[in-house]
Amino acid sequence: MSLPRVLNRRNRILLRELSKTDFKIRYQGSALGYLWALLKPLLMFAILYVVFSKILRFGSDIPHYPVYLLTGTVFWNFFTECTFQGIHAIENRGDLIRKVSFPKYIIVLSATSTAMINLLINVAVVFIFALINGCTPSLSWLLVIPSIIELYALALGISLWLGAINVKLRDIGSIWEVLTQALFYAVPIIYPISMVTGVSSIAANIILVNPISQVIQDVRHNIVTDQTVTTWGFNGVGWGLVSIAVVVAILIFGALFFRKRSKKFAEEV
Amino acid sequence: MGLKDEYLQRMRREAMAELEQDDYALKVTDLHKDFKLPTEKAWGLKQAIFNRLKGIKGFKTQHVLRGIDFTVQKGEFLGVVGRNGSGKSTLLKVLAGLYVPDKGSVRVNGSIVPFIELGVGFNPELTGRENVYLNGALLGFSNAEMDKMYDDIVDFAELREFMNQKLKNYSSGMQVRLAFSIAIRARGDILILDEVLAVGDAAFQEKCNEYFKSLHGQQTVILVTHDMGNVERFCDRAILIEDGKILQNGDPKKVAKTYLNLFK
Repeated sequence: MSLPRVLNRRNRILLRELSKTDFKIRYQGSALGYLWALLKPLLMFAILYVVFSKILRFGSDIPHYPVYLLTGTVFWNFFTECTFQGIHAIENRGDLIRKVSFPKYIIVLSATSTAMINLLINVAVVFIFALINGCTPSLSWLLVIPSIIELYALALGISLWLGAINVKLRDIGSIWEVLTQALFYAVPIIYPISMVTGVSSIAANIILVNPISQVIQDVRHNIVTDQTVTTWGFNGVGWGLVSIAVVVAILIFGALFFRKRSKKFAEEV
Repeated sequence: MGLKDEYLQRMRREAMAELEQDDYALKVTDLHKDFKLPTEKAWGLKQAIFNRLKGIKGFKTQHVLRGIDFTVQKGEFLGVVGRNGSGKSTLLKVLAGLYVPDKGSVRVNGSIVPFIELGVGFNPELTGRENVYLNGALLGFSNAEMDKMYDDIVDFAELREFMNQKLKNYSSGMQVRLAFSIAIRARGDILILDEVLAVGDAAFQEKCNEYFKSLHGQQTVILVTHDMGNVERFCDRAILIEDGKILQNGDPKKVAKTYLNLFK
């Protein structure tokens, strides 16, 4: 899979048109249309904020806690949306795959592109919230870009890998939905990591070595407050590199697995 | 024709093709394709585990193509005929690159544009216009190129006043007309068409026939059809597939006759 072939003219045209179609169709028939892309994470944030910040009194020791919480929900939302769309992409586009021959990864890329657009808009909302909440803008805000790339690489790797299995074994989609529910609590989104570090530093390390936690904590560190505990800071740079290695490994494995299986998609889907 | 004759004829054809290396557009050699058909529904994990426990393999192998050989010359209009389930569509899908053959090879001299079905990717929720651009992208056309062709496509389809309506509000005849009008813009060295002639009303069919006549001699075409009239009208040569093998390869009139005799 050499680069010129991956990005050749026909594939680029196809990727753009399919992404456009996915985007148009997603919010068809709803009165608020595209606004839902913004409303969903904001409403989820509102619920979590009321329950965990106001009722359970989490995060009273963290400055700008609402922005801190919003950052977590926005990135988590991106990860789940991206993987849900990506895993079912091949299955949903069976009509195309059975009739036109083209590289199948384009389907996964186009299916996840809507999630990416939504994330970019939501990150802009996070910036606005941060400014309103009194965070000082700085150059470190730009570091959100490598974090987005890391999380997308992870989501794409998982989508390619599980999506390829899901073509034959439709249970994978359902299993993944349950797994993400569990994963939600394994990532410090609603609770501050300080609640765990105080109890068990091994548990905290396990939580932080998860690349999703790494991304969320990095973004919080770079935008909201530099007091955020990051994977890099907690147990040394080595563990930070482990997380990144996990992402790279999943992406490479997912891509190779997908490529091997994709030859039979037209027959199996 | 005896087996030996058939073999000799095949060898001769292959030798000819070797001599005229550059003239062939497509060369299929000893093509085999098997399918594993699930005997019971084995979609889910539960069923897969049950089958494993009961020692059921969960599928039986069906040999759909069992050794297909033929060559298409450049500029030739080849008809492919055969009964339902004979393996025509599978052959087409292997040629189109959708299926990977189990054995044998397909050598293509140039680019292939396959139409396994018209209007692939058409989405009922999009407008006619949006669908034209999407379908164009599947054929490899950029937006700029589609802009240039757009008026021609709409005129040919005679759907000017419907282009901003959603496709779900089109009649099925209108949908095929639109799809066909985009399809004929496709430019490739080899065009593969599967049963797409019978679209629209009599007037539109006449247009389509003219288009096919215009292709004759200009373009390499592989046409799969059940209409022997079309085989005789358009094709330079035809092959008859029966039970995954080529039963006859040659003059369209003779092939059409053999085909019709299959049903007697």
